[in-house]
Amino acid sequence: MLDFLQTLFRADFFFSILRITTPILFATLAAVIVEKAGISNIGLEGIMMISALFGSLCAYWASSWIAGLLAALLVGVLVALLMGVFAFNLKTDVILVGIAVNMIGSGGTLFLVKVITNLTEGKALASTTSLAVSANQIPSISIPLIRDIPLVGEILSGHSLLTYLAFALVFVTWVLLYKTAPGLNLRAVGENPHAASSVGVSVLKMRYVAIGLSGLMAGFGGAFMSMSYAAGWSQDMVAGRGFIALAAQAMGGGEPLGSMFSALLFGFAQAFGIKLSSKGVDSNLASPIPYVVTILGLLFFALFKRRSGSLRHRAHKKGASK
Amino acid sequence: MNKTRQLSFRLVRGTVAILIALLVAMVLVFISVEGDSIADKFSATAGALRNLLIAPLFDEGAGFNLKRLTDILAAMIPTIFTGLSVCVMFSANEFNLGGEGSAMLGAFSAAMGAIYIPFAGLASFSVGLATGLHILLCLLIAAVSCALMMLIPAVLKAKLQVSEMVCSLMLNYVVMYVIKYLMNTHLADKSKGLIQSFAFQPTAQIPQLVDNGSKLSWGFVIALGFVGITALFMYRSRWGYAIRMLGFNKDFVKYAGIRSGSMIVLSQLVGGLLAGLGGGIIMLGRYTTFSWGALPGYGWTGITIAILAGNNPIFVPFAAFFMAYLNKGCDLMATYAGVPSQLIDILQALIFLFFAAEQFLSRYRQKLVVRSAQKGLSAGGGKEARADA
Amino acid sequence: MAENTYAVQMLGITKIYPNGIAANQDVDFCVREGEIHALMGENGAGKTTLMKMLFGLEEPSSGEIYIHGEYVQLTSPAVAIAHGIGMVHQHFMLVPSLTVAENMVLGMAPKKAGLFIDRERAIALTKQYAERFNLHVDPEAKVADIPVGMKQKVEILKALVRGAKILILDEPTAVLTTQETAELFKEFLRLKEQGFTLIFISHKLNEIMQITDRLSILRGGRFMGAHDTGAVSKEEISRLMVGRDVVLSVEKQPAQPTAPVLRVRDLEYTNAWGKKMLDKVSFTVRRGEILGIAGVEGNGQKELVDMLFNLSRPSAGTIEVNGENILGLSQRKIRDKRVSLVPEDRMLYGIAGEASIEENLIADRAHTKALNAGPFFRMRKIHALADALVRQYTVLCSSARQKVSMLSGGNIQKVVVAREFSNDPVLIIAQQPTRGIDVGATQFIRSKLVELSREGVAVLLVSADLNEVMELSDSLLVMYGGRIAAYFEDTAGLTDEQMGQYMLGLQTQSQQEIGRVCHE
Repeated sequence: MLDFLQTLFRADFFFSILRITTPILFATLAAVIVEKAGISNIGLEGIMMISALFGSLCAYWASSWIAGLLAALLVGVLVALLMGVFAFNLKTDVILVGIAVNMIGSGGTLFLVKVITNLTEGKALASTTSLAVSANQIPSISIPLIRDIPLVGEILSGHSLLTYLAFALVFVTWVLLYKTAPGLNLRAVGENPHAASSVGVSVLKMRYVAIGLSGLMAGFGGAFMSMSYAAGWSQDMVAGRGFIALAAQAMGGGEPLGSMFSALLFGFAQAFGIKLSSKGVDSNLASPIPYVVTILGLLFFALFKRRSGSLRHRAHKKGASK
Repeated sequence: MNKTRQLSFRLVRGTVAILIALLVAMVLVFISVEGDSIADKFSATAGALRNLLIAPLFDEGAGFNLKRLTDILAAMIPTIFTGLSVCVMFSANEFNLGGEGSAMLGAFSAAMGAIYIPFAGLASFSVGLATGLHILLCLLIAAVSCALMMLIPAVLKAKLQVSEMVCSLMLNYVVMYVIKYLMNTHLADKSKGLIQSFAFQPTAQIPQLVDNGSKLSWGFVIALGFVGITALFMYRSRWGYAIRMLGFNKDFVKYAGIRSGSMIVLSQLVGGLLAGLGGGIIMLGRYTTFSWGALPGYGWTGITIAILAGNNPIFVPFAAFFMAYLNKGCDLMATYAGVPSQLIDILQALIFLFFAAEQFLSRYRQKLVVRSAQKGLSAGGGKEARADA
Repeated sequence: MAENTYAVQMLGITKIYPNGIAANQDVDFCVREGEIHALMGENGAGKTTLMKMLFGLEEPSSGEIYIHGEYVQLTSPAVAIAHGIGMVHQHFMLVPSLTVAENMVLGMAPKKAGLFIDRERAIALTKQYAERFNLHVDPEAKVADIPVGMKQKVEILKALVRGAKILILDEPTAVLTTQETAELFKEFLRLKEQGFTLIFISHKLNEIMQITDRLSILRGGRFMGAHDTGAVSKEEISRLMVGRDVVLSVEKQPAQPTAPVLRVRDLEYTNAWGKKMLDKVSFTVRRGEILGIAGVEGNGQKELVDMLFNLSRPSAGTIEVNGENILGLSQRKIRDKRVSLVPEDRMLYGIAGEASIEENLIADRAHTKALNAGPFFRMRKIHALADALVRQYTVLCSSARQKVSMLSGGNIQKVVVAREFSNDPVLIIAQQPTRGIDVGATQFIRSKLVELSREGVAVLLVSADLNEVMELSDSLLVMYGGRIAAYFEDTAGLTDEQMGQYMLGLQTQSQQEIGRVCHE
């Protein structure tokens, strides 16, 4: 047991937490932004799948990871804006729009990959792994100075470019929401759309901005999945990260920083599961760990919220009786 | 706007939604078919579309193909159940997406019952009695295990306002992995090359309705029976009534003294029960061993069906037929025209996006409204149409 | 050029909502440059809809709008703002989690480096406008934390800072105290002197007589003419507004109250923000009487009803019905004690709009033995019940299977009332029972209430409509600032002026006088 813990809490484990958290964090930031504007985007999962596919394909066609990344982002934004057309203009329930995008993300991508590449590995399975070359993968960066620090260097240096970007975007998202004019408008639209529209802020426009940004973030997540986390796109590779992100957003109270910590928690759970299976535990037993942790996380968060709520109520009661 | 006009508007809108989806499908098919020239591609597309739209029931010479009809009917069995399940849960405004996990868990637990509950003794006494009891018991296990699974998101939602959607989605993965784990380690028939269970006892196999290889079992009749039962439950019982009112307006329900927490739980329990039954019936009617390694997809199709049916159980079989028909068409396209069968997922998403779009064709509707309101004003002096804004 | 002396001309305006309701029909509404113009009408007369069109929140189905003589198409508030129109909404259009300054500059925030909000300049701008117009606000306070009067000022400043020359004020005094109202009126006059045009929506006659130059009247969505304020009498205006000379009156035998039914003692409630909303409220409602609760809205009446129906929990006190505690019981159990509630907002709490009339009528009794046989509904009984209630309460509909949302406001309220009155109640809590509905339905509901009380039901009537409480109540409580300010055993001889004194907190009765309502 002790032996196991020792192998567990080594630098490579912490390194893998950061790596595994990256796609969840992108999706979490997408959820944070879009929820601030009062929209639930449950289609993040599907957007990531679609972005991952186009990112990997474009990187192959152009033999450039930059082209792949840009394609993933573009596709992410486009799909998100299309969701907006249905949700905002045609008034389809936004939850249903999300479900539709997820359907396209799981089966539709498979259709597209077959049509576009004529690749098939058996009838049901498909992937673009055979197209992926390491030159088309998003590069990793080893940071001078930091990489030389023992332990810290091993954990923090040598990550994918997008991993650093994900954590940087936590700060950027915070600044965007709280320090900029569009952020102010976005929050106003989410909290009281009537107030926003009564001063000439276009609610529709801000909602499009918000969902577009969420598409951008999910696009990053998708690109990371197929061009860094794994080599190439494969079916259902996002595996619920888009949904886990929704839980992370809720547990983080909808704030960028808090949600980042929840995302890290889920990253930890998944890294732990992977570690377990590498130690010989059946992978089917280790794989559900992040999902179980998500449910437990939501449960404890709700219990905590209720407790602090009733504490506040009692404090008021006390104050009132004085 | 009166009722018939509203109905005809809906009909027009639904038709247009389907047409748009088919149009997009046509474009996608056009892109994916092989052909050297544009003309070639056009004729190939036409051929593929014939496969999609006509071939599911009619052969080349326009002869009716019974086998394909029974294929379609057989494919409806699980999706009728998941469709009904979603109808009940969405009626309560509970966006529980655990139908996938339920269908798999239901299939798995029914299969376990079919393999391990000893019925050989009774069968030697009376095969008919043993078969009936064994199937009943297996389905009961399937229904109850899925109802219990749905209890998790339901209770968390009712007591702690935890999102039933996220929770049920996570449960789908958990269920899938746990079943795969059990199959890999303890339950697999090691004598076989693939990961599959031991064979079901004959007493647990649902008899076929038509024995032509379509696997159209008596489960189809059970499914239709449950359409009626669910409709009665939703429209003729106090629980279904309360579930629907909860979906319309949860504050109203609270003020009227209806226990909304219980209804949140009940709707999801019933949803799990139905989806689990669907999984169990398809397992015992179609297969002889359990070998699923992934979620079956019936849950998602169930959502599309429920939306096409407007959450009304009575319309579920028609919507399920429509989706099974399209699915068959996509399969035929894949076989004969080389168009990947996953086109169905895109078609399905498009159809239900437009179907659920409230403002879709709203200008046309507003025109109807204004016209009938103006007629009313000139006739009745506008007394009824008083502003209450 | 005579027509250019008009700041606003709305000609031939008709508005039909998507649900087929005609809110305005062929309305001509004109406001002169630099005047205070009142737009009057009962609840539901179409005032707010008309003003929403002027502010670009709704587009007219037909008709034309001219601003300063120029034809305009006001497709959004942004366009209206660009034409110098500002609106102060009845329900504040503020974002609670933002500061006053942030609310002020929302949509036009001063920026640093083209993107970031310049907080200092936002605060300076707020201060500058606050001083220039003598409307004092705290720029750095969160809107959620400031009092109502200050919110109103923020709203007005918001319009001014956007360059509004024409200000629409939708019932700005509804939530204000007398002093605040007086102060606000001074502001209005000052704005008028500075050349602003004000459109003032109200149905309070005294206020309108006090400060407006001209007035326009709407009734049932139609235009009833414009007048110089000095040239018409109050009686004339009220006749144009309600279309009759007398206020509604209900035939009523004197009450003969007997045993106490609802007994409320020392009820206290502090809301989530720490504000005391109810302070030692005690009263008793007896069989056979209507006890009215009057007061300006926001003085604790809503909170009181919420406590009675366990929609929120009091910090202290007791509530009993027929000697049994109901505090903390579920709504089902409270209803089992035969307590009925007509909630204040019928669309939110009273009905499920997408359900049928019948389904709405059985909501409180769908679980009872009478309507169920085994697991199933007794459909024939339910149909019979619904048909009988529709007939008895004269609900205008094609059938009881029709969707409730297709009905007019008055008929929707009749559905609510039919349900709440027909379940053999011992206590009816009626909260704003006739708000915003037509005269016929109002008359019907009021007579029903009186009829039931004379049959021995205890009625607690909570209404902001002074006519209604004074007309219907046998005895009357006035609430002010979360306390009972006065109790009148008999409403006969009470005048509006007297009531006003208590409602606005200018006067309070002694503890002994108020204590009489406990009947102990």
